[in-house]
Amino acid sequence: MAEDNQADSSASFRVIGTRPIRHDGIDKVTGRAKYGADYSFPGMLHGKVLRSPHAHARIKSINTAKAASLPGVAAVITGADLPTIASRTENLGEGVVNSRYISLNVLARDKVLYDGHAIAAVAASNIHIADEALKLIEVDYEVLPSAMTVDAAMKPAAPIILEELRNKEEGPDKETNVANHIRFTRGELAEGFATADFVVEQAFTTAMVHQGYIEPHNAVGIYSNNGFATIYCSTQGTFAVRSLTSQVLQIPEGQIKVVPAEIGGGFGGKLGIYLEPLAVLLSKKTGRPVKMVMTRAEVLRATGPTSGSKIRCKMGATRDGKLVAAEIWMAYEAGAFPGSPVGAGAMTIIASYQIPNFVIDAYDVIVNRPKTAAYRAPGASNAAFASETVIDALAGLCRIDPIDFRIMNAVREGSAQSAGPPFKRIGYFETLEAIKNSAHNKSKLEGLFRGRGVASGFWFNAGLQSSAVVNLHVDGTASVMTGSVDIGGSRASMAIITAEVLGIDVTTVRPLVGDTDSIGHTDVTGGSRTTLASGQAVYEAAHDVLRQLKERAARLWEKKPDEIKFADGVFSSADEKISPLSVKQLCRQLAKTGGPVTGKATINARNAAPAFACTMVDVEVDPDTGKVRVLRCTIAQDAGRAIHPSYVEGQMQGGTAQGIGWALNEEYVYDRDGRLRNTGLLDYRMPTCLDLPLIETVIVEVPNPAHPLGIRGVGEVSIVPPPAAVANAIYNAIGVRMTELPMSPPRLLKAILKRRHAEAEMTNAAAD
Amino acid sequence: MFPASFEYHRVSSVKDALALLSQFGDEAKILAGGHSLLPMMKLRLAQPAHLVDIGAVHELAQIQEQGGRILIGGLATHHSVETSSIVKAKLPILAECAALIGDIQVRNRGTIGGSLAHADPAADYPAAALALEAEMTLENPGGKRKVKAADFFLDLLTTAVQAGEILTQVSFAALGAGTGGVYLKHRHPASGFATVGVAAVVTLKGTNFDKVRVGITGLGAKAFRASSVEKALAGKASDAIAAAASHAADGVDATSDTYASGEFRAELARVYTRRALEQAVARVKA
Repeated sequence: MAEDNQADSSASFRVIGTRPIRHDGIDKVTGRAKYGADYSFPGMLHGKVLRSPHAHARIKSINTAKAASLPGVAAVITGADLPTIASRTENLGEGVVNSRYISLNVLARDKVLYDGHAIAAVAASNIHIADEALKLIEVDYEVLPSAMTVDAAMKPAAPIILEELRNKEEGPDKETNVANHIRFTRGELAEGFATADFVVEQAFTTAMVHQGYIEPHNAVGIYSNNGFATIYCSTQGTFAVRSLTSQVLQIPEGQIKVVPAEIGGGFGGKLGIYLEPLAVLLSKKTGRPVKMVMTRAEVLRATGPTSGSKIRCKMGATRDGKLVAAEIWMAYEAGAFPGSPVGAGAMTIIASYQIPNFVIDAYDVIVNRPKTAAYRAPGASNAAFASETVIDALAGLCRIDPIDFRIMNAVREGSAQSAGPPFKRIGYFETLEAIKNSAHNKSKLEGLFRGRGVASGFWFNAGLQSSAVVNLHVDGTASVMTGSVDIGGSRASMAIITAEVLGIDVTTVRPLVGDTDSIGHTDVTGGSRTTLASGQAVYEAAHDVLRQLKERAARLWEKKPDEIKFADGVFSSADEKISPLSVKQLCRQLAKTGGPVTGKATINARNAAPAFACTMVDVEVDPDTGKVRVLRCTIAQDAGRAIHPSYVEGQMQGGTAQGIGWALNEEYVYDRDGRLRNTGLLDYRMPTCLDLPLIETVIVEVPNPAHPLGIRGVGEVSIVPPPAAVANAIYNAIGVRMTELPMSPPRLLKAILKRRHAEAEMTNAAAD
Repeated sequence: MFPASFEYHRVSSVKDALALLSQFGDEAKILAGGHSLLPMMKLRLAQPAHLVDIGAVHELAQIQEQGGRILIGGLATHHSVETSSIVKAKLPILAECAALIGDIQVRNRGTIGGSLAHADPAADYPAAALALEAEMTLENPGGKRKVKAADFFLDLLTTAVQAGEILTQVSFAALGAGTGGVYLKHRHPASGFATVGVAAVVTLKGTNFDKVRVGITGLGAKAFRASSVEKALAGKASDAIAAAASHAADGVDATSDTYASGEFRAELARVYTRRALEQAVARVKA
């Protein structure tokens, strides 16, 4: 059904496109909303995790006897308490996961692979006793040499991190840290470059960064004597938590219920599991509920940040501005287990442009850092930093405005993708036009050391499975339940879609998020899929309600259902003797026409459509200190259809803010022994509102032709352009090309001084 | 993030506070605004058995002018220094320095005496106190003694305050005619502390420097007077500033941390010294 849907681009909507107050807003701003750490149960114990102080070490022995005998301690578990799992991969919607590796990450077995790797867990009557107990656990380590960067891990003599790891290329006998090599090619590279008038080649480095969600990971596990487990946690996907916990603990999925708490940010970092199986196992051992909440340091050390990377990018263009060839080498830090987003990086890096000849080589590399997790358009920001900087340099060499240069080379409907079928209707051209016509682009930027930069971003967006139920109440109001955790305002979108279809007031629709026992399977809130896929399930469920209501009216009026008309929330008949009924009036008649009305729909959406964004940034650089001030920032993004424009704008602004943080400040800093040095938010520095201007937004709407409402998905692509846009702006401000993230004052100053030094030498040489 | 257990004493006079200090010796710590001590206690870097809260000794919060000197009680908050009409008129550089400390919540609680006595290597006040040649009054059971700023900061978190003493007052000479001062800092992006902060106070005779005082914080283990910069400018005109400022980090073992390397800090010290001196001169001329 999904693929046959045609968006009606001329549709006029009554509720879609309006900005009602979000239904969960009041509880959130008044502190009544329940987040994971707010849950409490009678007899509840508190759990804590012992973590590795080493980047890479063999665990020779663990002695938990002293900890177990501390008064107040109820249970201690180690990796030996978890079942051994064979390799098995599963797609969660934002990348593939392997339950064996998840199990090894949840509690280390014979080796610890990064600073912060979990070794043991304790349940005690309070958190302080649990903390004391951790200190009593004796671990004997044999410290091993570590490989902290892709360069170090790819060297021939590099320490091997996962002894069992093999890749296809190197064969079954070769131990390696390279989990995967992907290659995409098109045309003939040498021929392509031969036709280029200008070639730019640069090497880029980006730092590992964290998503920076404010709420730490948490879980309450309650194991019942009948073998059933209940988990309360903040997650982006209850069904994913159920599936992964089931695999790690070898408990059937049907015996696990996951209840979603409100979530204080995820951005891809809460798709997986860390504490959930530990809380359940500790509960099983003690017979009591066990609550576990990470500290900030644990979040930074041991939950998935996104990959740091090395990218070499060479591109060629003709004098008249046509891109002709690209040669790209990219390696991403996977962390301690396979699965960096380098594949997505490779598929997005030049996806926005028509380039007839290219070779892209991409490597997924194991390093002694925490296993990376998804982060908003995972892999695409690193990639765009490289390609959008090189494109900017090429536009400069061709003396073509950087927006026009992008327009000239932009992919359009029918253009081939880097990997996959040709694009259907896409809105990249419209997005570039929107930036070109923006007030920002038309404004003049004046002053010393100021510059303007642009960059674009591409993201696939996801579809996947969703379920929705719409219940009609006797008073004519409705509730709508989906399995999608609400991170970015999806409750409001689900209510709007329900109200639109049923012709009722959006404030009379109550949007709910179901647990795994209350609603059909629903994939994670990720991949910008929720409004598209769960929104479509809601749309279809509401239409199911409408169909049934027409039947009820037909029964009341002794007509056929197709003789019943429905418009603006009112049912009527061609028969003038029959007075029309509103939804509310008809709801009073449900009992006598067959009972309650519930609509439902489940889908596996295959109609996802890509999103494009283009971001313009003005900066001012202090050339003596390297400090960058962002003066103005505008983003244009194709939303397909903005269901609730405020939350579309919120996504655009949020991703841009994170992208600017990535560009200017954020980085994981490890010391020589592979220990993370910045484990708090004073040292891991995210931007605040004081660091950013108002981020101006332009919503572009090129409807997704395969979606009944034209929705594309808006959650991710906004984070892709900012690093390159800021770098391009810095170049235009002071003539220094930055190829390393973050462009923090120390790093930028170093580049400025290096250039000043080189210029001085050139002047001296000229004088000689 | 819970401090070790301690006993809390609230006193209403310096005399009572001193009595408790001599009674408990090393076990006791003075609590003023608590903005340095309490975080250290929460991290268990400090575990005093007794806290002597001088918050109710109201006379210590006064700011007054006496015989050409500005006297600021140790308990005066950053906010009261920032907004004091006396300080703004007679020591504008100090009001500006106070205004750059932390955020409004910090400035409402933190005190000048607490900040100076704690001697955080990245605190703002020490640079200004050095450049303004402040004089600290230390009280002990035997009476009072005065210590010049130049002799006050000894090392990392270490000052001339002896066990059993309380810093009760900081005194400054009002800026005279022909004198201008500026405090500039590169804020640590998260904490707001000075990655490097430079206070410059200059007196001109005609177009040439008569007196130059430069205080630098954040660069090394303690705030210091950049005497090589000061000497290089003696008797010179303002075109000598750039060359002189290049000596700002001379001989200092610059601190490195996850945000800024020692090399970067040294460059910041040179840049901010030059800028502070240029702006201080501009202020005299204005």
